[in-house]
Amino acid sequence: MKKNAAILPFLIAVALCCSLPCRAAEVTFPTPSYGGAELAKVKEWEKTWVGKKVTTENVDQVKEFLHEAVYKAMKDPSIFGAKSLWFDIVPYRPYDVSKGLIDATKKYAPAGKLDEKENLVGYGDVAGYPFPQPKTGIEMAWNFDSNTRGDSSYLFHGGTVVDCRTGHEREAGHLRWELSWLGRYDVPPIPRMPNSENTRDIARSFFQRHTAPADFVDTTMLEIRYKDNREEDLWVYTAMFRRVRRYATSQRTDTIDGTDMIYDDQEGWYTHPTRNTYTAKGRAELLVARHQDPKNVQRDHGQGFWNGFQRERVNNWVVEVINKDKDYIYSKQIWYLDPETWQMNFKVVYNRQGELWKMYEITYNEQPSYGGGKTSIPSAEHIVDFIRRHGSPGNRDIKGVGINIPLKQFTTRALQEKSY
Amino acid sequence: MKKIFLASVLLAALGAAYLAVPRCSCAAVMLLDDKLRVKGSLYEFGMYMTKLTDEDKQYNNNNIGLMRTKGTLELLYNAIENEKCNANLFGFFQYWHESSSDFDGAIKNSMTSRARHHYQGPYERADDWINELYTDVYYGPWNIRAGKQIVFWSEVEMVRTIDRINPLDLRYTTPGIDPFDEMKLGLWMLRGFYTSDLPGQIVFEGIWTPDFQRVRTPYEGTAIGSNPAPPVVMGKQAGRILPYGQNAAIDAMFRRDQPSFRLNNTTFAFRVKGTSDLPGNYTLDWTLSWYHGMNTTPVAKRSTLGTPATLNLDTDTLNGYLNNLALSRVFGAQDLPGLNHKSFWEYKYFDALGFSGQSFIPWLKGVLRGELSYELGVPENTAFIKEIDKAPSYSKVITGTTERDQINVGITFDRPIRWDWLQNQTWLASSGILDTTIGWYAQRRQGNVTHIRRTFAYYERSQTNWTVTVRANMWHSELFPVVRFLYNAQNWGYGVAALRYQPGAHMRYELGYTWFFARNPWDAAEAYCENKDFAYFRIGYEF
Repeated sequence: MKKNAAILPFLIAVALCCSLPCRAAEVTFPTPSYGGAELAKVKEWEKTWVGKKVTTENVDQVKEFLHEAVYKAMKDPSIFGAKSLWFDIVPYRPYDVSKGLIDATKKYAPAGKLDEKENLVGYGDVAGYPFPQPKTGIEMAWNFDSNTRGDSSYLFHGGTVVDCRTGHEREAGHLRWELSWLGRYDVPPIPRMPNSENTRDIARSFFQRHTAPADFVDTTMLEIRYKDNREEDLWVYTAMFRRVRRYATSQRTDTIDGTDMIYDDQEGWYTHPTRNTYTAKGRAELLVARHQDPKNVQRDHGQGFWNGFQRERVNNWVVEVINKDKDYIYSKQIWYLDPETWQMNFKVVYNRQGELWKMYEITYNEQPSYGGGKTSIPSAEHIVDFIRRHGSPGNRDIKGVGINIPLKQFTTRALQEKSY
Repeated sequence: MKKIFLASVLLAALGAAYLAVPRCSCAAVMLLDDKLRVKGSLYEFGMYMTKLTDEDKQYNNNNIGLMRTKGTLELLYNAIENEKCNANLFGFFQYWHESSSDFDGAIKNSMTSRARHHYQGPYERADDWINELYTDVYYGPWNIRAGKQIVFWSEVEMVRTIDRINPLDLRYTTPGIDPFDEMKLGLWMLRGFYTSDLPGQIVFEGIWTPDFQRVRTPYEGTAIGSNPAPPVVMGKQAGRILPYGQNAAIDAMFRRDQPSFRLNNTTFAFRVKGTSDLPGNYTLDWTLSWYHGMNTTPVAKRSTLGTPATLNLDTDTLNGYLNNLALSRVFGAQDLPGLNHKSFWEYKYFDALGFSGQSFIPWLKGVLRGELSYELGVPENTAFIKEIDKAPSYSKVITGTTERDQINVGITFDRPIRWDWLQNQTWLASSGILDTTIGWYAQRRQGNVTHIRRTFAYYERSQTNWTVTVRANMWHSELFPVVRFLYNAQNWGYGVAALRYQPGAHMRYELGYTWFFARNPWDAAEAYCENKDFAYFRIGYEF
């Protein structure tokens, strides 16, 4: 009996020792913005503010939770052609992260690491967020890049190009299908399309058919980003000329049809993460719209900045981003990344003279996704130009998230089909 | 009468004011539960000729060379949509009126009433008002399009090499001012696509058409056409300008002798299209094509050619008819000889093999495109060599017909160039990107060229063109300055500078200037326009 009693603690000790590596690499996910005492403090603050409308008149009272750019616009609405600007405050709600994302993050994050060129080791064969507890800016950028927004989506994206000085407006709109071929965590096959169906190592692709303005109707774009760091491929079927033409992706810094957005700005940053250097700048508590009903946004004619955002307090990660191309159009970007989904809630960019140039605020909403889960997906946005007093408010009608899109959709042949 | 006039002016002013105010709304109108999409446009296009010579002024009372009002209507009806099959019906209808001859008597007198009728509106062919009308059916890997269509096979701009399915209507402007898609003439055809599962996304395409349209060259007496023959020198009509000069007569003959819509006038074309990965991470989009069809410009019919001599005045022969017409004009005949029932011209078949490719070149940060066309047995007229017949190219008599092979090559390179200065001009609100395209085009005529009768480029074995296009954007892409330039090694060419302004969803404005130059006007049709510089405007409404 004594002998057995001695063996038992020994076996327990051995078992504990064996489990040490796993415990060391264990990751915490999901990662809500607030917990414990912090959450209690936020809830206390919300007792005063939730349900209130913040306008130019009372914006000073929440100034500490607004980015300087938003505050500046709120204090002087005429910059963006508005008589008044306002938003609502809603309670903080942690995201209901999908089971697939949790499983993938827990499975692959323990081995998450970068090589000497800051590429994610195993990129394409892993999924989920590789660094749920990031320590560096580049790790945060890879987390941002790993958000596949439900692996696939189909939506209508409408927008207006507004000259806030003259009040001139131009409508634009497109239908967009987007698919992640690698790093998938919700829709089978996961974590990647089989090689037999992805012989070209495509990482993600989008197919976009324009519905406005009139002379742009049926113009269709196909962009393919690859697993490696090579340049993306971009094809455009120009309805006006009835031709499918290759485009130089070095055109990525050109504005998209007169909006304030360049091709790289899509969804915050729409190309390979390693093209920038990143510096973590800590956390910033900001009021951002993470549960935004796109039907609630509103504005007057000639106004380039939305009213009606439903903002909640979130403790964002802050990353300073500088492109490796010394001639890049932006001298610096500051990204504000969501601590739960790593989506970009907000970013500001500076011109090459170092002046605050543009602000891009993306709102999100949770949408039903594959297998009964939910996925946070952009619901509206505005990107505004402080120097030129110009704005591009837009919103989205989500038609499906985590859906099966035929792979033939992402071929050059599809560009010309059903376009006239 | 005065009241009616005032009311008309008021209505026109109100209409202009309505159109001039930018408004925002949806791009296209959707009807019938979103099954029918309606789009359209209304444009006014005018040309002001800035370099009319004294000779030209005999045929123009003012400098307005062209004033065309054009309306288009596009209808797309989604007839069937289910998992297995999708069928759409597409119609593109157009109407235009060119009014310069309505207010300029000299232009009116420079054309026959029939030619003027054909020129002023969509009346050259009964179905000209239909630009396209076809059903588009998708079933599995098959896509069948049946009806009147316009096909684009080209990758490059400004010069055509393999893009030859639809002929062009060159009567109103030149390429570079109007895009090719607005200048193409629709053909009734059956077109099918088969999307294979082969590697490289290979798509097979076939075209069959019993329809034919000739190329429409500028009418004699119009802005960019040739002048009619000089005023009558003798007789009662001395000093008068008579329409129906040599070029008008040839155009009338070309029109009369063109093939009808018949099964034995069939044209075939096939194309294979794919995308291939090449070593070095290059992705090449390529096409291979074969065309078998009639040349859109005819050659003389040997049986009715007649003796190639200036004394031949027999109107039953081509040479005789043209001689007779010229002499009748000079001597002021009461009636110019009309065309009889004899057919003088025939449109002959030839074949063309084509290749095209385009790829993004990362180290050049641009897209390289190329086209190659090898044309077999292109029909040609023959003439005596210079040593025997010293007449200039445009008046050489035709001695017969023959065939020659011809090679056309086109290469362009597109590169967006960032111009920091432009980007830093806040007031211009430009992205600072200059979309730049440079191009090189060459043609080589195989075989003996000294016996070939050509009005332009007579005796020339090869042609080389260079082009450059630079396009910028300003005021948040409301304003687009564009410069295009084409230079030929024979020292002729033309340039276009234009400003396009699109302030809202619907209104479109464009101002431009076109400048031609040439060492010898007989080097090319464009060179012949050396004194036809013009400023132009285009105002339109798109819905």
